[in-house]
Amino acid sequence: MTYPTNPITSMELILPNELGYELIARDAVAAFAWRLGVPIDRIDDLKTALCEACINAIEHGNSLKPDLHVEILCRVEDECLVIEVCDEGVRPFAPKAEPLSIVEKLAGMGSLRGMGLMLISQLCDESGFVSRDDVGNCFRLAFQRHRAASLGCSSNPGSHVSV
Amino acid sequence: MDKHDDTSREPVEKIIELRLPSKLGYERVAMDTASSLARRMGFHDDRVESLKTAVSEAVTNAIEHGNQQDSAMKVVVLLTARDDELIISVADQGRKILDQDDTTSSPHIADVLEKFDKGGWGIWLIRELMDEVEFTTAPSGGNQVRMVIHLEQ
Repeated sequence: MTYPTNPITSMELILPNELGYELIARDAVAAFAWRLGVPIDRIDDLKTALCEACINAIEHGNSLKPDLHVEILCRVEDECLVIEVCDEGVRPFAPKAEPLSIVEKLAGMGSLRGMGLMLISQLCDESGFVSRDDVGNCFRLAFQRHRAASLGCSSNPGSHVSV
Repeated sequence: MDKHDDTSREPVEKIIELRLPSKLGYERVAMDTASSLARRMGFHDDRVESLKTAVSEAVTNAIEHGNQQDSAMKVVVLLTARDDELIISVADQGRKILDQDDTTSSPHIADVLEKFDKGGWGIWLIRELMDEVEFTTAPSGGNQVRMVIHLEQ
């Protein structure tokens, strides 16, 4: 099953691989989402989730290398705003078999950091790594455009690792 | 590092590239992106407002005139942040090439008020608000406006 993508309603943003630029991405994509009719409370969720995804790309995927870039692709798929955050894959994403829960982290069983993917999964209607032809990690976030409730987005065809 | 090394050093710059649909309304995305970067660089609020207006006019011109509102076309905005300035380049795909005379002439207010269409102030506004403005041809062959705003320390 495929879902229509409107090539006209798409935006691309390429950022320097430097912490702090996730805030520029946040403001750019929030303006794009507002234009597409995404409710304001969902835009707040989007801003937090996008920042987390960008920080992951900068810190982990691109290993903080200043000569690399993070690419953000935004488009409308069916009734969802889909955002892909792609890095250049210095470090490929390797999912942990059993990530620690917040309770376990608070109990000192691991670093207090590393909750970005869990946070993103709570804020988006759908999220996860997707395969791409180029080298690099690509993380997909999807938000319903016209409903405040998180009812879920139709998933993109192809490989998709939910978090 | 000696003094010679310091003065011969290449300016540090960071580039953000934004590709937008050629559809009126999406100039807001360019405005918000540029203002977010300008605030991060330390520009004062009044300069940020000037920048937003100039970017809005430049992107609107690219959508309306350069790309003739063909929503399948793109507008490319390049934001180059340097230590002492922000350079904004707005390029269209050149469905209609801008007449160079239109980039230098100033509208006469009396003439404009008599016309039904009160537009035509965009380029004049950009020149008033930005520190440097240059109209060139984009690598794609379209129209390109390069605007510079200096950061006062």
